[in-house]
Amino acid sequence: MRILLAEDDPMLGDGLRAGLRQQGFQVDWVRDGEAAERELASGVYAAGVLDLGLPRKDGMDVLQALRARWVATPVLVLTARDAVPDRIRGLDLGADDYVVKPVDLHELGARLRSLVRRAHGQMQDSLRCGALLLEPAARQVSLDGEVVALSTREFDLLHVLMRNAGRVMSREQLEEQLYSWGHEVESNAIEVHIHHLRRKLQPELIQTVRGVGYTVLRSPELA
Amino acid sequence: MRLPRAFDSLQARLLVLVLGLAAVVWLAAAVLIWRDARHELDELLDGHLAQAAALLVVQQAAHHDDDQVADAPALHKYAPRVVFQVFHENQLVQRSAQAGAAPMSEVERGFSTVRLDDGSEWRVFAAQGAERDVQVYVGEQTASRNAILRAVLRSVLLPLMFALPLLALAGWWAVYRGLLPLRHLSEVLGQRRPEALEPVVLRHVPAEMQPLVQALNGLFGRIERMLESERRFTADAAHELRTPIAAIRAQAQVALGAGADEMQRQHALQSTLAGCDRATHLVEQLLTLARLEAVPAGANDLVDLGELARRVLAELAPGALARRQQLELDIAGSCRVTGSDLLLGVLVRNLVDNALRYSLDGASVHVRVALEQGQPVLRVEDSGPGMTAQEMGRLGERFYRVPGHAQPGSGLGWSIVKRIAQVCGAQVQAARSARWGGLAVSVCWPDRPGQRDV
Repeated sequence: MRILLAEDDPMLGDGLRAGLRQQGFQVDWVRDGEAAERELASGVYAAGVLDLGLPRKDGMDVLQALRARWVATPVLVLTARDAVPDRIRGLDLGADDYVVKPVDLHELGARLRSLVRRAHGQMQDSLRCGALLLEPAARQVSLDGEVVALSTREFDLLHVLMRNAGRVMSREQLEEQLYSWGHEVESNAIEVHIHHLRRKLQPELIQTVRGVGYTVLRSPELA
Repeated sequence: MRLPRAFDSLQARLLVLVLGLAAVVWLAAAVLIWRDARHELDELLDGHLAQAAALLVVQQAAHHDDDQVADAPALHKYAPRVVFQVFHENQLVQRSAQAGAAPMSEVERGFSTVRLDDGSEWRVFAAQGAERDVQVYVGEQTASRNAILRAVLRSVLLPLMFALPLLALAGWWAVYRGLLPLRHLSEVLGQRRPEALEPVVLRHVPAEMQPLVQALNGLFGRIERMLESERRFTADAAHELRTPIAAIRAQAQVALGAGADEMQRQHALQSTLAGCDRATHLVEQLLTLARLEAVPAGANDLVDLGELARRVLAELAPGALARRQQLELDIAGSCRVTGSDLLLGVLVRNLVDNALRYSLDGASVHVRVALEQGQPVLRVEDSGPGMTAQEMGRLGERFYRVPGHAQPGSGLGWSIVKRIAQVCGAQVQAARSARWGGLAVSVCWPDRPGQRDV
């Protein structure tokens, strides 16, 4: 799951990025409000973590500008401003969650997963597709109750596809959602991961729509 | 005038003063009336005595052939107190009922006061006829005069006896009415919640109370501003501590979750330590600032600026060397300024520490102590990134940090520097360094004689 982190404090930003990466998030880190607005508006992030006291553009203004542009990316506000009026204003301006520093990294991860889940209309954290069960918090995939060992990229790819079950995802879309900055993407990387997934799970799970992309069918549609 | 404790009430005080003064004035008036009345009474009655005597002399001149002693009857209740004697050729010829046979007075003409054998005191007027053979004495008991005087005095003082209590009542009521605004004010103040600091608003404040109400409101205003600044400071401080604590927590959790990644754990633990140092720095700066708020202005040690700068730079040099930064001190002439040695040390340390902190590794920081146009000046220049005019304008706002710095800072250094300068009577100016393009901070003291050795 690719997350944008907007935090100007070097030490905290570094810690948050490392902590979220440990939990399997792909994290891109920006240090000012203008960059945060630009990146969140790109639509490639599953969610954003936004500090309010950002240089160049205040977090509240970023939030307001994003919502005014109909950017629906879930945003978690992480801030030191704990006053109730601030919380109310943040939530009313379009924040999906409001967390006061300091925060437990695992809680932050859980809240981000919850935001993404809700954005996709899911009730539960785990995703099911026939006999296949994907549990994002545990980063675990099981087929008929048997745990299947997947690499990080394979897991993330399956997660994106299952989260968007019923939608065809292009190779570019998948790459954008899978790779944070600084990672070189080889041209056939997605194909290779898809191939591995089909081999480890069920061959018919991921369908190819030629010239368009890949899709995972919703549970009832799957035979 | 000091009044006993029982008269701590303004009402009682006013009442006692007004009634006391009224009684004194009245008594003084009574004394004057009494003196005046006695004088007039004496003149009037003496006049009557003289006239009566003259009448008797004239009458005797007409009937001197009669040798019988005639006794006049007592016709009035005052008659026993008034007597006369008429002698013709030293023979008593006429007298009033109570008069004796011997002449009443030894004085043969004019007034005299005599005491008779029965102890009574008389005022006597003696007159003689034209041939000196007729001698007339007319006497009046002085007691009767005193009775009249007492009656006069009574008529003056008696109303006072009734008037004083009435005056007291009226005075009490008048003073009570007069002091109503004061009572109203104390009620308003008494009903206030302790934390209420809005100004007192009273309708129809008397002129005498206006300064009081204004002073009160001024005081409330000052207290409110002070409390507000305290509240803001506490809130800001708590807020500012959140970020380093959040960073420490995040880094510690990363270290815990690093698993087999030894490099990541090391990095996270190092960051945790750095975060602790930063929080410590912030807390220290906060404490310094809190202590400075309580320092009264005008500390007056004589401080050698060059010596002080040398000491502070010696402390900071190891850190600068570790980052390959050039730290230079240039003392041009001896500058002595008044101020606190301790506080000025904190000021110089903050300025130099800021310059080192926000400059890159390998940068230069130059400290100069000199007299410029007779004024002692301490200038800290660095080759760091400098600031925009807008950023310089915001310096000294608590917790303001110039954005985009990787170096952790408290955002309090400037507040501390400004406060110390204020306490020590110096001025701080930030400008662009002409030499390096970084920041140049000057601390100037006004030129006062006796502060420097040239």
